[in-house]
Amino acid sequence: MSDSVFFAIAPLLVVSLGGLLLMMTEVFATRRADADGPSSDLAMGTFITMLAGAITAFALWLVGPDNLAGAKAVAPYLLVDRFTLFFDMVLCLGGGIAALLAGGYLPEHKLDRGEFYPLLIFSTAGAMVLASAGDLLSLFIGLETMSLGVYAMVGFRRGSMRSTEAAIKYFLLGSFAAALLMYGGALLYGVTGKTALAGIGAAIRAGVSSTDWGILLLSMVLILAGLAFKVSAVPFHMWTPDAYEGAPTPATSFMAVAVKSAAFAMMLRVLISVFGDPLSTSWGTGWPPVVALLAVLTMTVANLVAGRQSSVKRMLAYSSVAHAGYVLVGVVALVEEPGTAQGSIMFYLLSYTVSTAGAFGALILCGSRGKEAVSYEDLAGLGKRHPAVALIFSFFLLSLAGMPPTAGFFGKLYIVSSSIGAGLHTLAVLLVLNSVLAAYYYLRVMEYMYMREPAAGAPIAVPMRSGYVRAALAICAVAVLVLGLWPTSSLSMAIDAALALR
Amino acid sequence: MATYLPLFMLFGVAALIAGGMFVATTWAGPKVPNDAKAEPFECGNPSDGARNIRPSVKFYLTALLFVVFDIEAVMIYPWAVQFRELGYTGFFTMASFLALLAIVLIYAWRKGALEWEK
Repeated sequence: MSDSVFFAIAPLLVVSLGGLLLMMTEVFATRRADADGPSSDLAMGTFITMLAGAITAFALWLVGPDNLAGAKAVAPYLLVDRFTLFFDMVLCLGGGIAALLAGGYLPEHKLDRGEFYPLLIFSTAGAMVLASAGDLLSLFIGLETMSLGVYAMVGFRRGSMRSTEAAIKYFLLGSFAAALLMYGGALLYGVTGKTALAGIGAAIRAGVSSTDWGILLLSMVLILAGLAFKVSAVPFHMWTPDAYEGAPTPATSFMAVAVKSAAFAMMLRVLISVFGDPLSTSWGTGWPPVVALLAVLTMTVANLVAGRQSSVKRMLAYSSVAHAGYVLVGVVALVEEPGTAQGSIMFYLLSYTVSTAGAFGALILCGSRGKEAVSYEDLAGLGKRHPAVALIFSFFLLSLAGMPPTAGFFGKLYIVSSSIGAGLHTLAVLLVLNSVLAAYYYLRVMEYMYMREPAAGAPIAVPMRSGYVRAALAICAVAVLVLGLWPTSSLSMAIDAALALR
Repeated sequence: MATYLPLFMLFGVAALIAGGMFVATTWAGPKVPNDAKAEPFECGNPSDGARNIRPSVKFYLTALLFVVFDIEAVMIYPWAVQFRELGYTGFFTMASFLALLAIVLIYAWRKGALEWEK
């Protein structure tokens, strides 16, 4: 083992060591009784750690993972390729924004305890391990490291029944999903005798007996079900609205962006490396029809239910389920159009990360002093009272709805064009129809903000003042705009990253 | 199969004795019911006092810390057995693992998890 190993896994090391350092800073900091809570220094520290992680990943991208001698030493447990590095950047972005949101949210809602930040960092580190895992063992370790931190963050509001219920629900269903994945993985190991994803894939390509093929199908079903839980695809989405609603909003934002992106990274790796053989990818005998069905159900059900919600936070939760459905359309297109479909998925996840984190951030900004803005009525008349807040909220909602010139528009455009390229016209049409359906509930928020007056005596949302939240919103807004106006450079990065995964 | 025959016979005899005793006591045994006998039997003496006692969260913290340091033993024994073969790589890997555990201990100590009386 030489030093070069440390260069190869530098983003992961930077984030983990930063987390340890912040833990020590928190417990050794002497704080006067009248001073601000731990958020005042930890939020910025966490953001800087994540930024450093993203910058290191970008530096490795520029060097080129093929030039890293140490990358071979950690393979196949951790694969260092452009796919990994791309997701490292997306995950660090999601984690960093969540840290800034927490810096404003936690003190405002009297939840200011320092544990949140190390949990956030180690969850992100777990997600990075998950995105780079090339072996069933490291994949499972990454998955659990990521999930454990998130379970704790969901239940962070200890006194609240709703938050505790959300945490328990998420914990039980999350563990169940992990168990399904593990059972599927155990069957894969049983059939092929290997734990490395590439090794399993090669063994399947080399041909298996018909009994073994039955076991492989079973493991495929189990693994797909476990993955569908993690990306919250219908009909495995039941935990999503409750967990998202009960969690403190920065944790919700982290779950919606980073956890989901990491789960999709895992899904892409598993489907391509393990189940990439002609038999598994055929429409008659493999996973494409199952994933297509999941995609159609996810989009349609989530959009129909999202329109009926009375809580904006719950609506955004269902909206994140719907977006998982759009990405699944791209996953189906993988079979015919491997490079472009995967590039479009990754670009979509990037644009979804900044739009969703921005929307949750704007929702945080609308609440203050222990009271979250949750219902549509809370937001009534916000456009007159606080035009800047309403404007930025609308901007992120338009991006989620997929209006040009925002990131969301190009995200959807690339997914649709790659699915048409793959000959999946029905799915493409359904995706477009669903985005029209989704526009209804995004526009409804704007209708309340701009065209309604609050009912007499009804509680109205008073926006909070926080530099952290504003900074997070500014980052998201710039990213949404840049991705919407100049999408080509980041798309070509995503396609480069996609080509690494063969 | 024939080699297992005595075993099956043993099972049969055991079932016969156990079942026979049940039948015999219900049929031949004297029955003197009283209040204490009518209560559902759990174990030990009848409990008195409240049943909804909340165990202190300290027990949970102690258990958690125990698990953390138990894992240390799990990792160190196999490493010690392979000490020479693993060489400096193993040595520094284990050193960094122990450093991580030390950080955990410091964190727990500074957070007050080790203070029994508070």
